[in-house]
Amino acid sequence: MARRNLVIAGSVLAVVVLYAVLVPWLAGVDDRVTDFAQARQAPSADHLFGTDSAGRDLFVRIASGIRTSLVVALLCALLATVIGVVVGTAAGFWGGWPDRIIMRSTDAVNALPHLLLGIVIVAMFRGSLLAIVLSIALTHWTQVARIIRSEILSLRQRPYIDAAVLAGASRRQVAVRHLVPATAPQAMIAVVLLLPHAVWHESTLSFLGFGLPPHEPSLGTLLEEARSSLLLGGWWTLVFPAAVLVIVTLAVAFAGQALRKVITPPQPSELRL
Amino acid sequence: MIALTGVLVLTACTTPGGSVDGASAAGADGTDGIVLADGYELGGYNPVAGFGAAGEAKMYDGLVRLTGGEGMPGFEPALAAELPTANEDATVWTVKIRPDVTFSDGSTFGAEDVVATYEAILDPASASEARSSFDMIEEVVQTGDDTVEFHLAYPYAPLLTKMLIGVVPSESVATPGLAAESTLNTAPIGTGPYTLVDLSPDRAVLEANEDYWDGAPEVKKLTLLYVPDDNTRAQRMASGEIDGTNLPPLLANTFEGKDGMTVTAHTSADWRGLSLPTDNPVAGDPAVRMALNLAANRQSMIDNVLGGHGRVAATPIPEVYGDAYEPGAIFTYDPARAEQILTDAGWIEGPDGIRVKDGQRAQIALMYNSVDTVRRDLAQAFASDALAVGVEVNLEALSWDRIDPRINTDSTLLGGGDEPFDPDTQAYGALSSVFVQPDVGSIYDNPSDYQDATVDAALEVGRRSLDQAERDAAYREVQDAYIDDPGYVYLVFLDHTYVSKDAGWTMSGPVLEPHAHGVTWGPWWSLQSWTRD
Amino acid sequence: MTTVQAGREERPAGTGQDAGQAGTVPDDAPRPSEGQAPSVQDLRRGRHRDIWAMVGRRLLFIVPVTAAVSAGLFAAAKYSPFDPLVGYLGTRYMTTSDADKAIISEQLGFDRPWYSTYWGWVQDLFGGDLGLSRSFNQPVAQVIGERLPWTLLLAGTALALAVVVALVLGIAAGVRSGGILDRGVTALCVVVQGLPPFVMSLAAIAVFALALGWLPAAGLTDGGADPTVGGVLRHLVLPVVVLAISQVPWLLLAVRESVVTSKGEDFVAGAVSRGIPTPTITRRHIVPTSLAPFVNIVGVRLPELVVGAVLVEEVFSWPGVAGAIVTSARDLDMALLAFLTIGTTVVVMVGSLLADVVVALMDPRVSTDG
Repeated sequence: MARRNLVIAGSVLAVVVLYAVLVPWLAGVDDRVTDFAQARQAPSADHLFGTDSAGRDLFVRIASGIRTSLVVALLCALLATVIGVVVGTAAGFWGGWPDRIIMRSTDAVNALPHLLLGIVIVAMFRGSLLAIVLSIALTHWTQVARIIRSEILSLRQRPYIDAAVLAGASRRQVAVRHLVPATAPQAMIAVVLLLPHAVWHESTLSFLGFGLPPHEPSLGTLLEEARSSLLLGGWWTLVFPAAVLVIVTLAVAFAGQALRKVITPPQPSELRL
Repeated sequence: MIALTGVLVLTACTTPGGSVDGASAAGADGTDGIVLADGYELGGYNPVAGFGAAGEAKMYDGLVRLTGGEGMPGFEPALAAELPTANEDATVWTVKIRPDVTFSDGSTFGAEDVVATYEAILDPASASEARSSFDMIEEVVQTGDDTVEFHLAYPYAPLLTKMLIGVVPSESVATPGLAAESTLNTAPIGTGPYTLVDLSPDRAVLEANEDYWDGAPEVKKLTLLYVPDDNTRAQRMASGEIDGTNLPPLLANTFEGKDGMTVTAHTSADWRGLSLPTDNPVAGDPAVRMALNLAANRQSMIDNVLGGHGRVAATPIPEVYGDAYEPGAIFTYDPARAEQILTDAGWIEGPDGIRVKDGQRAQIALMYNSVDTVRRDLAQAFASDALAVGVEVNLEALSWDRIDPRINTDSTLLGGGDEPFDPDTQAYGALSSVFVQPDVGSIYDNPSDYQDATVDAALEVGRRSLDQAERDAAYREVQDAYIDDPGYVYLVFLDHTYVSKDAGWTMSGPVLEPHAHGVTWGPWWSLQSWTRD
Repeated sequence: MTTVQAGREERPAGTGQDAGQAGTVPDDAPRPSEGQAPSVQDLRRGRHRDIWAMVGRRLLFIVPVTAAVSAGLFAAAKYSPFDPLVGYLGTRYMTTSDADKAIISEQLGFDRPWYSTYWGWVQDLFGGDLGLSRSFNQPVAQVIGERLPWTLLLAGTALALAVVVALVLGIAAGVRSGGILDRGVTALCVVVQGLPPFVMSLAAIAVFALALGWLPAAGLTDGGADPTVGGVLRHLVLPVVVLAISQVPWLLLAVRESVVTSKGEDFVAGAVSRGIPTPTITRRHIVPTSLAPFVNIVGVRLPELVVGAVLVEEVFSWPGVAGAIVTSARDLDMALLAFLTIGTTVVVMVGSLLADVVVALMDPRVSTDG
């Protein structure tokens, strides 16, 4: 079941990524070239998804948009995971009062309306890619930290760790050589599971005008543009980017879920779809 | 949980906590009131801080007011009893004050109020944004019960344009202080045709001044709504909730042909163009400057970005200026010649299609204000045109505080025409090399650091001469000289577009509009003179 | 953090949002109900004491968190590359000279270090003065007073609607898990999880306001009119429905999940074997045990509701406080921003605490240890 889901979600994702990578390349269109005389053309054989407000082909532009959004999301997810792994490892490894303090702070961050704080932070530093990445990463590492911590806790019970300690390995060596590498699968799952959230976040921030500049294609900026194009009759400027956004986030989310089930033991109940 | 409790309380008492207070709105149903949605913030109604400098303030009167009509508007006396007169070198102007006018607080208008208003504008303690544009005025003195004299630092022919700004009671500016902090911002006291009766961040209600010296307005009530988003204003207009609003041209065009709606386009001197800073190694190059002017397809921008509502620009002087306009001063769209000029100047195409000269890539950063879709589209269209001749224009969407520090080094998509009622106020700030010196004027005066001796000389003649023919000739010379040595790429003059609901009023007709184009302009600029059909 | 053992984990496709940690239990969390066997009264008294202790601990916890968040906000504002004068001067920013900007900056205290501004704000706050909102040009108390009721109306109605829909559909789907309704509802939920609220808002406006013209697209009332019950209700429909729909999937799937879980538990099997009819089992046994995790999820989802409200208010020009957060952050209007952010943080934390208390009272198996 999980494997089948992984294959389906993975295939959808592969198609999306191929679309994002190949289409702009094959089309050979320069994003900077506009033709306002061709603005807001309805979908046709020439323009599968129609054209945007500057007369650019939306089929190509959405592909570029996915690419931007995925790259931004990947950066966010990676950074969040790195923070989470560091915090989680530290807590799980030291145990005792450092663990208590670290996990209390994690709870504190978790209890905040963090999406809102993210919006506030990015609004203060708007227009900067670093701000987007940081605002998402700094508010989303807590789950990763929790997962990694419990992983470390269970790993510490394993015989080979005892063996390493008996063989005279220092605490640091044990942590760096054995514990952290062993959390790699969990960390990978965490990255994948964070991706859709990051895509979602980037599009929201760009939509509010705090993210990427309006002339650069991302799923968020394309949807922002749709807001005014809708009034000019351009339904396709909303429908296609929105559909792609849903497909991308769902495919990544399902792939992540399925991946987790393949890697970790089955959980009590399963979602049927 | 908290929110859930909240709703229970609210739904239980059926009338949710009254949050919007004030008088009931006339709305679309009212017969003698109108409701307009504005994209500009409400409040900030203090003339000392620069409000209504072009005479559009409904709560105030200036010494003079605009006459309107097609073409260049004239001036007629308002709080002045007759048109002010100048001495022969235009350094002393005498104004006779209109008698029997009262302010909205009941006090009587007099010469001392004129003196106090202008002194407050010029007082550094007010920190008025208008101060630098009034710097020709040395002092204003009361010379009789009903006369004041303006003493100028240098001859200044178009002084009437500085008399459009509203006059406030002397008591309201008795204590020096920041104009932006004055109570006049939210509780204006003026002699104008309307008085403000209610103000909240998203709604202002104005009522007709029944004692107005020029007769009480027939439109009794004006409600202004602050709706910053263009799309939202369009939606509310479409659903018939409001009587009128200003919209970007493409959105306005969607109302064309709708029953009971009228789309109005008013000619303006509001230009869009970009600066080419002299200090920039690419944008400062005369060949690049000329080539970019020839490469820009201005007509296509008007047809497609502005939905036809605009005019081609080559200099800051539009055709509507009549004799002061030089018809020959235009740039014809000619990308081939642009490429030739670049090649001749040593800008040779590199492997990626972008030209290079002495190791310098032909790339320019163009900053534009990100909230304005027309600027975004013009910037994109221009970047595309420039790319076609081998010049790379990299767009940056920024807010003004981020643009400010870089304005003398990188290109900016600018708008102009704040005070369009004389060629001097229209062109001097943009082209005079006086502003190349740091700390002279605002940073938006001559941001290209443009310097041309012929242009400078002609600008001074136009500014000082009282002879209309001599002035016109001087401004034609400015345009001729600029065309041979451009320092900007002036792209278009916008026609400001408005949508209004037909309600059986006879309006007074259009007026040439300045840069600002909220609902204080458009068909509503002369609201006080509207009459029932 | 209260933790729930019933209906734990495995929520489907955590797309875009993180309901995630709601039902998780740290593996090493002690369970107070284990151990020696005291009397029932002792148990109940001890349990109440535990809950009160949890409430006290969590309330104390709010103090350092809000202090840290507010201090962080002021520091961030100081390091922001944007000039707070833009928000203050608005369009006049462009034409004000540098010298005058310096004067205004000094008068408004923009050049002071952040901790000094922050300390001033804290002192004013405890003195009962919320300060002046520069972007709205009104006292903060007035901005909040005028806008909060509308946000409560919007968010409260939406939450109530979402809760009802989630309970009804979730129980129906869970009871007949695997049926057509279950599959349809679950699939729909998954798709909605991938749709950000702003996309839904745009789609709702496009269809119901622009294409069909049934409902107004923006604002609280028709332009310039005073709010009337009928007028506000008409304007309320689209934003409330969008906000509710955006929250339903998490709630619904949580209900469905716990219904499915409790169906498999011994007491249900026992009831079935005693021949009790299915509707009765559902009403008496399955639904009550499924409510605790549901309330917990509602508490956990509060932050998402707030963000949803921000987006919905922004798109529908709803004059509430959530939209004001965006405006004040953009303008670095610290008096308003700090109060709104801290207020939201406290509401969210207290809200989730309340949810946990309700859960702990409803379900004795729940641990009160964090």
